[in-house]
Amino acid sequence: MLAPWLVSALLAAVEVPAPGSAAVGLAPVKVQDLHYGDVLFQFYKHDHFDALVRLAAYRDQGRLKAHARDAELLRGGLYLSLGQHREARRIFEELLAERTTPPAVRDQAWFWLGKVLYASGLYADSERALRAVASTLPGKLEPERRMLLAQGLMYRERYDEAIAALEGWTGAPEWTAYAQFNLGVALVRAGREQQGLQLLDAVGQLVTENAELIALRDKANVAIGYAHLQGGRPAAARLALDRVQLAGSQSSKALLGAGWADAAEGGFQQALVPWLELHGRGVQDGAVQESFLAVPYAYAELGAIGQAVEYYEQAIASYDAERVRIDESIAAIRAGRLLQAALATQGDGRQGWFAQLVDVPDAPESRYLYHLMAGHEFQEGLKSYRALDAMAKNLSRWRDSLGAFDDMVATRERALTARLPAAESRLAAVDVGALNRRRDGLRATLEAAVAARDVTALATEHEREWLALLDAVDAELAAHPGDTALDDAREKARLARGVLMWRLDEAWKVRRWQAERSMRELDAAVYEARTRQSGSSRARQGAPERNAALRQRVVVVAPRVAALSARVESAKAAHESYLADIAVGELESQRRRLDEYSVQARYAIATIYDRASAQVPSP
Amino acid sequence: MNGMQSMRITMQALLVKALAIAALVPALAQEPAPPAADRSALDAEVQDLRRQVVDLNRDLFMLEEDLLFPASTQVAVFVSMDVGTFFQLDTVQIKLDDKEVANYLYTARELEALKRGGVHRIWLGNLKAGEHEIVALFTGQGTHERDYKRGATLTINKGVGAQYVELKISDRLRKLQPEFVVRVWE
Repeated sequence: MLAPWLVSALLAAVEVPAPGSAAVGLAPVKVQDLHYGDVLFQFYKHDHFDALVRLAAYRDQGRLKAHARDAELLRGGLYLSLGQHREARRIFEELLAERTTPPAVRDQAWFWLGKVLYASGLYADSERALRAVASTLPGKLEPERRMLLAQGLMYRERYDEAIAALEGWTGAPEWTAYAQFNLGVALVRAGREQQGLQLLDAVGQLVTENAELIALRDKANVAIGYAHLQGGRPAAARLALDRVQLAGSQSSKALLGAGWADAAEGGFQQALVPWLELHGRGVQDGAVQESFLAVPYAYAELGAIGQAVEYYEQAIASYDAERVRIDESIAAIRAGRLLQAALATQGDGRQGWFAQLVDVPDAPESRYLYHLMAGHEFQEGLKSYRALDAMAKNLSRWRDSLGAFDDMVATRERALTARLPAAESRLAAVDVGALNRRRDGLRATLEAAVAARDVTALATEHEREWLALLDAVDAELAAHPGDTALDDAREKARLARGVLMWRLDEAWKVRRWQAERSMRELDAAVYEARTRQSGSSRARQGAPERNAALRQRVVVVAPRVAALSARVESAKAAHESYLADIAVGELESQRRRLDEYSVQARYAIATIYDRASAQVPSP
Repeated sequence: MNGMQSMRITMQALLVKALAIAALVPALAQEPAPPAADRSALDAEVQDLRRQVVDLNRDLFMLEEDLLFPASTQVAVFVSMDVGTFFQLDTVQIKLDDKEVANYLYTARELEALKRGGVHRIWLGNLKAGEHEIVALFTGQGTHERDYKRGATLTINKGVGAQYVELKISDRLRKLQPEFVVRVWE
C-alpha cells in the first residue's frame, strides 16, 4: 500500500544536485580581447546560450586570438552546461591532443573531460581524467573535482576509497555536505548502515542559514529517520525526524515518520499529534493520504472506535474526491494543458523554484505539477521540452528577421546604384598623382636648402619682401658704382641685410625643425589621401560582389531556419506526448493507490463493525 | 486472530515494506539514472538540434553584423570594470558627436558580471571615417553611498577598419577614488 508513493517521495528526498552543478565554473582570467570579455559578460549573467553563440561567432571572426585556449575551455564547458556531452567531450579531447596546450589549460581540460565522462556515466574513465590533473585547480574547480572523484568511486561501489577521498577534505561546507549526504545514502543502501548513518548524521546536524543546505539537512534527517525506523530504533528515528523544519518540503514525510516512531513504541496518543497535523494538508501528498488511514488506526488502537469509524469514513470520502480530481487532471493532460502550466513556472533551476510549485493554481492541469516534478524522469523531460521551446522561439525571431535582412540587402543595392556616379565623379576630381608630385617638389626644395644651409629658403613672407627690397636697393646702388654720395646708403643697405641674415640664421634651427615636421605631416596627409582613394576605389569596385554575397547568405540561411523549425516542432510534439505519458502513468498509479487505500479503509470499518457486533450479547 | 489484531499486523507489515523500499532507493542525484530507450532517442535529437541551432545562430549573428555594421564603418563601445570598490555603477550614457546613442541601466547580475571580468558591449554602430568625439557619462554611488557622476571624453579618428573603444572603471587606490579611463583598441 505505501510502496509506490514512498518510492517517489524518497527519490525526491535523495536527488540532491551539488551546488551550482549546472553552472560552469571558470578560472579567473585577465581579458586581453574585448570580445572575449563580451562572451564572459553573457556567461556571468547566466545567458549561456548567447555566450556560446557569441563565442562561436567571435572565434570564426578571429577576435579571440589572445584567448584561443581559454575560449575553447569555456566553449566545452558551455556545451556541457547545456547537456551537449558529445560536443563538450570532443572539444576537451582536442585540447588535450594539442601538444602546445599549456599545463594550466591542460589541467582544466582534464577536469572538464572528467566531468563530461562522469555526466555520461563513464565513471572509470572519469576517474582517470580527474586524477590526471597535475596541480591544484583554481577557485571552485578543485572542490568539485574532489567531489566528482568521490561520487564516481561511490557509483562503482568502492565505498572505502570514496570515504577516503572525502576524509580530511577541507572544501567549502556546501560541497562536503552534498558529498557526505550522497555517500551516506549509498552506504545505507549497500548495507553498511552504521557508516552511512554516521555520514548522514553529520549533514543532519549542520548549523547553517543557507536555504539550500537547510533543505539538504532536512533530507538527511528524513533519510536517517526512516533508516532507524526500518532498523527498529524508533527513538533514534524520532530524534532525527524532530530536526526537520515544519515548513519545508520534507515536513510531511517527517511528520508521518514521527507518528510511526511514536506508534512503534505504543505511543498512539503522541502519534496522533503529527498525523492530525498532516490530516489538514493537501490530499494529493502521499504522506497526507497515508495519514488518513493512520489517524483512525491510532484511534482504534486507543479504543476510540467511534472516532476511528468517523475518520475512516472521512478518508473514503477524501479518496473518492481525489480520484475524481485525478481523472480531471488526466483529461487536462491528454488535452495538452499540462505543459502550458509547467512552462508558466520558473523551472530554470534557480534556488527555490521547486518549492514555489506548491503554490501553483489548483486547476486540473497544474494541481499535480509539484508531485510530477519530484520525479527525475519528468524533470529531465521537461528540461528538454523547455530547451526545445526556447529553440522554437529563437527560430521564430530569426524567421521574422530574415525578411528584414532581405530588405536591407535590397536597400544597399539601390543605394549603391544611386550613389555610385556621384562618388565616382568626386573621386575622379581628386588627382592624387599631382599631389604626390607637388609634395616631392617641396621635399626636394627643402632638402636642397638644408644641404646648402640656405637660410633664406625658410624666410617668412614678410622677410622675403625685405630681401626683395634689399636686392632692389643693391641693384640700384650697383648701377652707380662711383657715386660717393650713395656711400651712406650702401652702408645702411649692408647693415640692413646683415641684420636680416642674422635673424634668418638665428631662426634657422627652429624653422628647419618646423619645416621637416610639416613635411612629415604632408607625407601622412598624402598617404591618407592615397589610402582612402584606393580604399574607396576597392570598396566601390567590390560593393556589388559583397552585396551579392550577402544576398546569397540570406538566401541560404532561410531554408536552414525553416528546416530546423520543423524539426524542433516535431521534437516538441514527441516530448509532449512522452511527458503526458509519464504524467498520466504517475497519476494512474496514484489513483490505483487511492483505490487500495479506499479498500483498506472500508475493510477496517467492516472489521470494526464485525467486532462490535460480536461483542453485543445475543438476546 | 481478531479484526483489530489483523489490521495492526497489516499496518506494521506495510510500514516494514515501505521502509525496505526506502533503503533500496537509488542514492545520488548529480547522476541521473540511465535514460529509458525512448528518452535516449529524444535526448539525442535534442542534442543534435541544439548544436545545429547554435551553429545557425552563430551564422545569423555574423550575417546580421555584416549587414548592419560593416567593418569599414563599425565602431563598438565596451564597458569594463576593475574591482569597483569605490564606485557602484548605475548607468552609463554614451554621446557620439553630441548625440546620445546609448543609455544603459545595469542590473545587479550585470554588475556582478562586470566585476568578475565580463566586458559589456554597450553600443555597436556605424561612423564615417574621420574625427569623432565620444563622451561617456557614468552615474552611480561613490564612497560613503554618495551620488557620483563623472564624465570622460575621447576624440577618435575613425579609419577604414572596425574600431573598438573601452570605457574602463577602475579603483585609484592612492586617492581612494574611482578612475574612468577611455582607451581605443586597434
